[in-house]
Amino acid sequence: MESAFEPTEPNTGEEFEPVDVFPDSDDFDLRPGSDSCYKCSTCDTNCPVAEVDDEFPGPKFQGPEQWRLKQSEDDYDIDDSVMDCSNCMRCDNACPAGVPLSQMHNTARGEYVSEQMDHLSIEYWRNRILSNYRTSAWLASKTPRLANFAMNLGPARWLMEKTMGVTKEREFPEFATETFREWWDKRGAAAGSKERAQAARRERGLPEDADKKVAYFHGCYSNYNTTEVGKAMVRVYEHFGYEVVVPEQGCSGTPMFANGMLEDARRHAEVNVSSMSDLVDQGYDAIASCTSCSMALRQEYPELFDIDGIDDLAANTFESIEYLRIHEDIREEIQAAEVSGELADEFAYHAPCHSRNQGLDRQAVELFRELDGAGIEDVGESCSGISGTYGWKAEKYEKSMKIGDEMFDHMEHAEGETGMTECPTCAMQMEHGTGYDIRHPLELVEAALVDGHAV
Amino acid sequence: MASVPHIAVIGGGSTGIGIARDLAMRGLDVTLVEQGNLTHGTTGRMHGLLHSGGRYAVSDQASANECIEENKVLRDIASHCVEMTGGMFVKRPEDTEEYFEEKLEGCKACDIPAEVISGEEARAIEPHLARDIDKAITVPDGAIDPFRLVVANAASAEEHGARIETHSKVTDLVVEDDEVVGVEVEHQTGPDKKVRGTEGGTEQIRADYVVNATGAWAGRIGDMANVDIEVRPSKGVMTIMNIRQVDTVINRCRPKGDADIIVPHETTAILGTTDEEVDDPEDYPEEGWEVELMIDTLKELVPMLEEARTIRSFWGVRPLYEPPDVGSDDPTDITRDYFLLDHEERDDLHGMTSIVGGKFTTYRMMGEEISDHVCDQFGIDAECRTAEVPLPGSEDFSVLRDYMDEFGLRSPIGRRSVERLGSRAEDVLNTDGPNPTVCECEAVTRAEIKDAISQSGANLNAVRIRTRASMGNCQGGFCCNRMASELHGEFDEQITREAWDALLQERWKGQRHALWGQQLSQAALNYALHATTQNRDNDPADGEPVDFAAFDSGPTPTGTSGQTGVVTDGGTRDGD
Ligand SMILES: Cc1cc2nc3c(=O)[nH]c(=O)nc-3n(C[C@H](O)[C@H](O)[C@H](O)COP(=O)(O)OP(=O)(O)OC[C@H]3O[C@@H](n4cnc5c(N)ncnc54)[C@H](O)[C@@H]3O)c2cc1C
Ligand code: SF4
Ligand code: SF4
Repeated sequence: MESAFEPTEPNTGEEFEPVDVFPDSDDFDLRPGSDSCYKCSTCDTNCPVAEVDDEFPGPKFQGPEQWRLKQSEDDYDIDDSVMDCSNCMRCDNACPAGVPLSQMHNTARGEYVSEQMDHLSIEYWRNRILSNYRTSAWLASKTPRLANFAMNLGPARWLMEKTMGVTKEREFPEFATETFREWWDKRGAAAGSKERAQAARRERGLPEDADKKVAYFHGCYSNYNTTEVGKAMVRVYEHFGYEVVVPEQGCSGTPMFANGMLEDARRHAEVNVSSMSDLVDQGYDAIASCTSCSMALRQEYPELFDIDGIDDLAANTFESIEYLRIHEDIREEIQAAEVSGELADEFAYHAPCHSRNQGLDRQAVELFRELDGAGIEDVGESCSGISGTYGWKAEKYEKSMKIGDEMFDHMEHAEGETGMTECPTCAMQMEHGTGYDIRHPLELVEAALVDGHAV
Repeated sequence: MASVPHIAVIGGGSTGIGIARDLAMRGLDVTLVEQGNLTHGTTGRMHGLLHSGGRYAVSDQASANECIEENKVLRDIASHCVEMTGGMFVKRPEDTEEYFEEKLEGCKACDIPAEVISGEEARAIEPHLARDIDKAITVPDGAIDPFRLVVANAASAEEHGARIETHSKVTDLVVEDDEVVGVEVEHQTGPDKKVRGTEGGTEQIRADYVVNATGAWAGRIGDMANVDIEVRPSKGVMTIMNIRQVDTVINRCRPKGDADIIVPHETTAILGTTDEEVDDPEDYPEEGWEVELMIDTLKELVPMLEEARTIRSFWGVRPLYEPPDVGSDDPTDITRDYFLLDHEERDDLHGMTSIVGGKFTTYRMMGEEISDHVCDQFGIDAECRTAEVPLPGSEDFSVLRDYMDEFGLRSPIGRRSVERLGSRAEDVLNTDGPNPTVCECEAVTRAEIKDAISQSGANLNAVRIRTRASMGNCQGGFCCNRMASELHGEFDEQITREAWDALLQERWKGQRHALWGQQLSQAALNYALHATTQNRDNDPADGEPVDFAAFDSGPTPTGTSGQTGVVTDGGTRDGD
């Protein structure tokens, strides 16, 4: 019995194997996860939704309590309040005992959506469309100018709210006229990248065939909307001598988890795991520039799915700045650099919740506070409130803005009038609440280190 | 005999309460006296298995037959106390094939529906079963809540005119001319005792007939009239896990042995048990190795038990009896059957019969047999109806599940409440005022607590066994104070404090046997919380009346709590 006497070992969700209790579905038995909970309520006090919504029972109920009360009988329903959780995953981070809260929420939500939600309801289809953003974005990217114009037309937005429950308060993100992948192909794709990486290695005095190669998981947003982030990633990595490849990929699944669309998420995960894990086998590391994408690949995938290669991929996935901080002396280069031009600015930085869970919430501040020509200020610990698709739903819009209030407030008080964050939807919310331009840390690294970033 | 005979039943366990209900339904005048709360004895410390009979199918087929018969009856009349989980006997590679076959044959011989399934099939039903389980026999075992069942029987008996006195100990039998004609009873005083009966003092209850249903204590009642009843008390440990690792009853398919069964019980799973003869049913050692034995042995069936959280352990004492001429050495060899000892026949003592042995599962059948016997004494020809008439809470319970939404409770909370309350759910849960959850671990709302208080007065342990409040993973850390505050308005501060103290003491008792890993963290957190917010570290101001000025002079070394000797229902040992 010795091994049961292990009070300090947090229950990371790895000690027990989640078991497929209902062999035909994706549901795991997560009851054992509630063994670690000692009801301290720290998770509840850290939940941004519970803070603004008295009706929301909070993560403690949603996770360990609901799972413990659940039985494998079919008619043990999931409470519908799980749809009010924004999947910000702050509770995960807050829990001192390592209760796998977000895994519990994601699994319960999946079960709720597939078994209890009306599949003909507008809510279901609205959520399904929102969470399959990649599909809409792909369509829009075919005629980006028309999409940008049409989607943001007053009547169109009004109609979306009335018929679909998508809030009319928000402006739809702008679609790039050339997607990141189109740019990438034109630029010579992997072969071109290899040449540039080799040139950079020569310049740095590294062997030309140094083992520096990464597979870029760009996600939907930097492909269709903020392509400048994807481009910055490629240029910065090449600058450090990395060969970049851009494998076939779908959506990371983040919006689908949050909407309980686990079937959709699994389909995409299968594509991603299959292409990315092949590369991992060949010695590539997987890099994401969006903190929710890296979160999905490294934590949610292995928690929710059982796909060949999924654990290897999880173990070799990194966020883009994190990776450079581990493997390169980026700090010294930034200290020596000076930024000028458009990005020589003061930034109000918000750490996305999902970056917090990966321990990355201080990376941008720690890096850029030593950069001449730019300033950065952390606007605090609060959640932006949008949580991906959450803040797009008409009925959640106000809640989302209420959660964001604290961040907006701190942004206004910060010196800078430009925002910075790693997460594209946090960026949307920051822009929506303050009217500031929002940049990604990679853009600033690029401006500081990559000269004449033309190609 | 002109008027209706008056029968005194001693013992408020499943046996006594079953007899009281049966006799009351047959129109007799019944008084039941119990020294503690209902279920104070073995009934409150058993495993919660509704036997299919499978466990006795090889060694004791008479018991097996009775079990399967009563198993069917209880599913019907006590549906809100029973969860038909199903059960299986699993065979590990080292367990013999012969015994497996014997078990199967035995089940068939006793008409217990039994089927052989492969190891894979068993794991499809229970995924946490060990990989090397070869095969299993499925049987209709179930889980049953003894507290709810006894309370429902008491409610029914009272509906039929019975008087139920708890916290009333029989101190002597009144014997006149070789005939027992009544009992001397000492009613407990004190405000947290059940308020329904007579409060305080002694009482002589005259009766036309006395039934001794005191289980492991039966010998002591016998002594009061100089008759020998050789009950051989045998203790067994049960360890409660925080969650249900299995949703089916898992029995080990081998002859006899310790630690061979896991019963899913409400939100938990209970591991059991041992079988060891003790001298005194109230005073026996509770030892750590017994708990370790449960986990170490049963992890062979369900490996994850080794890492899983244990929330407490408790012990019970079997009231085993064997006719004096058998003389078994090992308590596991003693039959599980029950015996009706007519003291007139046996000892020339008129007016009393004792019932000893048996099982919880067969409580109703035992009640029927002894009620027949009592009626015979008076030439009464009344039919037993306890097998047909559902218990309060189990009438038409199935339709209710569809209306769960109406109580405005979140899904698992409404669901659990309705499962506990059965057909009473509507009456209890439809309240006007706000209905917050008082116990979060077990999903018990204020309405249910209030309902229990209306039944049992300012006795929070009685509220606990009715509702399961404070029986979840925090073991009352977060809800004991909330439960106590529900007494506000009706009871004064002193009564409330005593009830609260008694509940905390009882909760601590079982947790002492689970102080490692997660439950140790829990206990530490509970302590810190109770010390800092409820003055449980015995600040000097914790007196009566509260001397608020004493807060300024700091703690003194002697505290007021630290009381020992509490038993499962929170009363003190020996019912005093
Ligand atoms: C470890 C263990 C596990 C078990 N598991 C199961 C199981 O899973 N399924 C099953 O069917 N059976 C099980 N049993 C058996 C079952 O619990 C008992 O057979 C049954 O509960 C006995 O009930 P009872 O009413 O005869 O005795 P008790 O419940 O002990 O009732 C006797 C009552 O008499 C009271 N009393 C004693 N003296 C006096 C007095 N002087 N005045 C007033 N009152 C007095 C006591 O306080 C007590 O409440 C188990 C037993 C043990 C020990
Ligand atoms: S994921 Fe975020 S919104 Fe959901 S319960 Fe946890 S803290 Fe609350
Ligand atoms: S923070 Fe963790 S341990 Fe505390 S209540 Fe929440 S889940 Fe339980």
